[in-house]
Amino acid sequence: MATGLAPEIPSGGFSFGNFQRNLSLEVQGLHPPKAIKTGTTICGLTFNNGVVLGADTRATAGNVVADKNCSKIHRLAPKIFCCGAGTAADTEMTTRNIESQLELLRLNMGREVPVVVANRLLKQMLFRYQGYVSAALVLGGVDKFGSHIYCIYPHGSTDKLPYATMGSGSLAAMAVFERGWKLDMDEAYAVQLVRDAIAAGITNDLGSGSNVDINIIRRDEPKTKIIRPYEEIGLRGKRHGKYTYQKGTTKVLETEVIPIVVEEEEVVQRMDED
Amino acid sequence: MNSYLTDNVPNRFACLGLGTNSPQSLTKRPAASLRDMPDWLTSEHSTGTSLMAAEFDGGVVIGADTRTTTGAYVANRVTDKLTRVTDRIYCCRSGSAADTQAIADVVTYHLEFHEIETGEPALVRSAAAVFKDICYNYRDQMSAGIIVAGWDSRHGGQVYSVPIGGMVVRQPVTIGGSGSTFIYGYVDSTFKPKMTREECEQFVLNGLTLALSRDGSSGGCVRLGTITKDGVDRRVVLHNDLPKFYEG
Amino acid sequence: MKGKNCVAIAADRRFGVQLQTIGTDMDKIFEIGPKLFVGIPGLATDTQTVHERLRFRTNVYELRENRPVTPQVLSAMVTNLLYEHRFGPYFVEPVIAGLDPKTNEPFVCGFDVIGCPCEPEDFIVSGTCEEQLLGMCESLYEPNLEPDQLFETISQALVNACDRDAISGWGAKVYIIESDKVTIRKVRTRMD
Repeated sequence: MATGLAPEIPSGGFSFGNFQRNLSLEVQGLHPPKAIKTGTTICGLTFNNGVVLGADTRATAGNVVADKNCSKIHRLAPKIFCCGAGTAADTEMTTRNIESQLELLRLNMGREVPVVVANRLLKQMLFRYQGYVSAALVLGGVDKFGSHIYCIYPHGSTDKLPYATMGSGSLAAMAVFERGWKLDMDEAYAVQLVRDAIAAGITNDLGSGSNVDINIIRRDEPKTKIIRPYEEIGLRGKRHGKYTYQKGTTKVLETEVIPIVVEEEEVVQRMDED
Repeated sequence: MNSYLTDNVPNRFACLGLGTNSPQSLTKRPAASLRDMPDWLTSEHSTGTSLMAAEFDGGVVIGADTRTTTGAYVANRVTDKLTRVTDRIYCCRSGSAADTQAIADVVTYHLEFHEIETGEPALVRSAAAVFKDICYNYRDQMSAGIIVAGWDSRHGGQVYSVPIGGMVVRQPVTIGGSGSTFIYGYVDSTFKPKMTREECEQFVLNGLTLALSRDGSSGGCVRLGTITKDGVDRRVVLHNDLPKFYEG
Repeated sequence: MKGKNCVAIAADRRFGVQLQTIGTDMDKIFEIGPKLFVGIPGLATDTQTVHERLRFRTNVYELRENRPVTPQVLSAMVTNLLYEHRFGPYFVEPVIAGLDPKTNEPFVCGFDVIGCPCEPEDFIVSGTCEEQLLGMCESLYEPNLEPDQLFETISQALVNACDRDAISGWGAKVYIIESDKVTIRKVRTRMD
């Protein structure tokens, strides 16, 4: 029951309730905190037995590295994955949304959903938001029609390509691809090429950093797992000394201890099998 | 928020990486959307396409270059701007890639429905009318310049131009995109009605080659499509196979 | 901050309007479950609104599902709540710290204004002196700290970071969450 005191949880969609308020707050000089972006290098290519996707693992908020090891390869279906660049929350929520839509579609139709469908759903959603949902994606997957890579831009345009790069490090990664790409590559060569492309992004683009994540989707395997990390490029130096404080350094003014009493253990009873 | 070297972009949810914020465009895009990008990307503001379509005796020839740009970066050098609408109707897209792809998808849907309802292949004129409706109704929000070309049993090969404001006009030959400005003279002096198929294909190929060699923001290969009563016949001419002209 | 079978969460207590201090006893860390806490730094009005909304959603969840909210569930709730306001966000950057109700696995998670979850294996920082805190934590943190050592580490990180932030301070509250108890200590920081 929805009452004024206990409203229902909204069923979905964006809320613009704070928009006017935030606008006037901004006029008064109160700026919102920065959203996390992934100034990224992501890429993908097809080879003779499937597709390889790669991504770096740095997330930034302004000049601060907000996350040194974030995961930018998202699962859409068992054999369809998607690398995301752009506003981190947008890529995360967009891919989660499409993942659930694809699963519902699969259950409704009773067959594996092809990669074009994922592409269609993503481009139509992004086009509807006219670029305000800033997710730049490299979609890759394998279905009964073959291996596919799609490049999806925040405004909703898509390209179907044999190899694609995205994000701020895309120039560095594309340089590696244009140099090394061949028709009908084998897996080892393809993975090495993707690794080199991401490594080029990590070392040459300041928005990209840390590790290389790689996902190999093979035609003859029903499932895949993201190799995370595939390789650590931006390694941190080892700390030789210890900075730990001695116990009792901090002056405590007041201490309160709340014990956690477990009143009741949960007992799971199995029903008889027969 | 911004992953470039310097971070003094006023817009708080502004750009991040290359090719992610700026709309992908096939031709020139209004300056507003380029505002958020760094100088080295925006300084080169001529971005574009070269399109061409011509009627001949028995069908039409359509052609386009294959470059898609975001700012100064070539996002796709093998783009297919000749998009299928029905079996014998194609469109050539210029303007924002997202807008034109969306429009083409919607028109394809409408015409497929129309063909099922009427039980016969759609007229090129109908396709052009649907394109015009969408382009006109959304003229303030979209930037799309489209050429619709195809063959139907009633009027034979036809070419319709639907430029940015949402007008529609039938022309025996039409050119579009930023590269077209360089070849108006060539088209006017060379085109003649009732060419043969081979003559017409060569005419379109030459025109596009001239356009993309003079327009910095067109380039790559040339894609050609010939639509007759037998269907569509598509061909790619790689950059090193393009005809040679004076390059002074 | 994650420790060995324990987590810690700490925040300062100042409440101010830009440079003017109004209150010095503001709680920014809220209890969601016995072993689950959320810190919500940011615009005070939004801190309270977001806390109330989360409290409502967790209550509904516990009534509907008849089981306690796990840290992962709370994380999804925060993400969904904040992302719903993608185009008119609440000015808060919450941090979750807690132990799993069953396995007592430590969990920390941070969010940006529009709900992007960030789930590191060591620590998460948020608020006005985020950058100072990051530096402190990067140098002080070690994995698998015991509860009392974790207290020293997190307290010193917070106290020293606040020292260089004009609009943080006025005392701090440090929560050490263990499987059998939660210890709340009030700590002195600079008072100006």
